[in-house]
Amino acid sequence: MNFSGSILLVDDEAHIRKFISLLLRHLGMRNIFEAKNGVEALEVFQRERPDLVMLDVNMPVLDGIQTLRELKRIDPDCVVIMLTSLVNRQTIDEASAYGAANYIRKDAPFEEIGRTLSETIEEFVEPRRSDKGGGAG
Amino acid sequence: MDEPPLTASIDLKGRRILVVDDDRINLRIITGILRSEGYEISEAVSGEQALELYAESRPNLVLLDVMMPGIDGFETCRIIKRTYKATSAPVVFITAKSEADDVVMGFDAGGVDYLTKPFRPKEVLARIRTHLCNQLLVEQLSKANAAKDRFLGMCAHDLRNPLSSIRGLAELMNENTIGPLNQEQREVVHTIQGASQSMLQLVNELLDVATIEAGYLKLAKEPTPIGDIVERSVHLNNIEAAKKDTRIVMAEGPENPVINVDRNKIRQVIDNLITNAVKYSPRSSVITVKLLSEPTVAGFAVRDDGPGIPEDERHLLFKEYGRLSSRPTGGEKSTGLGLAICRKIVEAHGGTIGVLNNADRGCEFAVRLPRLR
Repeated sequence: MNFSGSILLVDDEAHIRKFISLLLRHLGMRNIFEAKNGVEALEVFQRERPDLVMLDVNMPVLDGIQTLRELKRIDPDCVVIMLTSLVNRQTIDEASAYGAANYIRKDAPFEEIGRTLSETIEEFVEPRRSDKGGGAG
Repeated sequence: MDEPPLTASIDLKGRRILVVDDDRINLRIITGILRSEGYEISEAVSGEQALELYAESRPNLVLLDVMMPGIDGFETCRIIKRTYKATSAPVVFITAKSEADDVVMGFDAGGVDYLTKPFRPKEVLARIRTHLCNQLLVEQLSKANAAKDRFLGMCAHDLRNPLSSIRGLAELMNENTIGPLNQEQREVVHTIQGASQSMLQLVNELLDVATIEAGYLKLAKEPTPIGDIVERSVHLNNIEAAKKDTRIVMAEGPENPVINVDRNKIRQVIDNLITNAVKYSPRSSVITVKLLSEPTVAGFAVRDDGPGIPEDERHLLFKEYGRLSSRPTGGEKSTGLGLAICRKIVEAHGGTIGVLNNADRGCEFAVRLPRLR
């Protein structure tokens, strides 16, 4: 995948962070930040302003939906993909109502995860990056 | 000597019985007999009082006289059954009304038994014991069943994420993401990947069953071109099928019917039928998938090259854990849950799932779902 932008990966489970970040590297992404809960995610987001956030739904303290709302408060145009372990229609509808761009099931086949990522990047992230004068590397 | 029945060992001391009779002498005699058995007794002298006491003491059984001033025993029983429905205690009538019609009326009102006065104390105690045992067993069974569903759901939830990670990490290693592997390392990683994959599938299916059993199967229906889902599933499954030199082909269909379904759930059904077809067909088979479009229903059918369904095992096919004698042909795993889940999903949509053996060999599974109205 031809994407030089940065990604913030948020999940409370270390093995999931390991797995998804390796998968992102496998897909050719090098610029990855990690956070292990919603509060940490907001800090890293403020500091690094990543192009894309991948956000776990089920987390203690500040859950995925609450974190999503806070992120949107900081930057209404930020691009967020929710990470889910089950397809729960209600959660997905709720996330999309709060402005999540898409969702990915953690146990989906790699091709599917890759496709969702590249579609989301193409549709939401690249237009923003070229506005900012960055552009894809 | 014969062994005593299993129920003889069940301890019923402290079980609560509500005794209702407008004749206080009768009441005293009956409650005396029951107390001697260790039951906890509450007494009422009218139907109205019985209903009040029922709400307060939630008895395990009601012993109910029929002829009483105010609301009679039959009506009291009907009200209890209507109010407390499935959780209501068994009601045993005890009355001097002994005509056949009266007895039938008692059962119609919802009673489980009918004793006539004058009664034989031993008979009364034996019958009450039986009904209390049944009530206790049903109560324990439904508690155990609910606990099982909770346990399954919890296990599956907590096992899924780690399993997804193990499988994903193994797959990434296999793709040399963290450096090249030698042949032996590759085999080990491949084994980890395969084992975690089949475990993840088992957990997913257990979770499905637990969800459905607990009544949480909620459908998010939307108008869906069924052909799109089927084609996608054919495409994805062809990758796996190629490993058995098997091809999955779409038969020419007249159209792409749009029906109102939960697309994730229906995707699960078609996926399951196709993977089964691959699993049970010999190597180098051709699986044919076609769309069905009829005036009131639409759906899809999957035709395989397997051994077909033996007539005497047909009844097991859509049951949970109902594994048949035929085995997967490529060493694949089977949980015996897939088709049971399919049936539940299809039926929740108001549709049908069925299977017919082909004239030559193999069989064809067909799913029919109601069309948009």
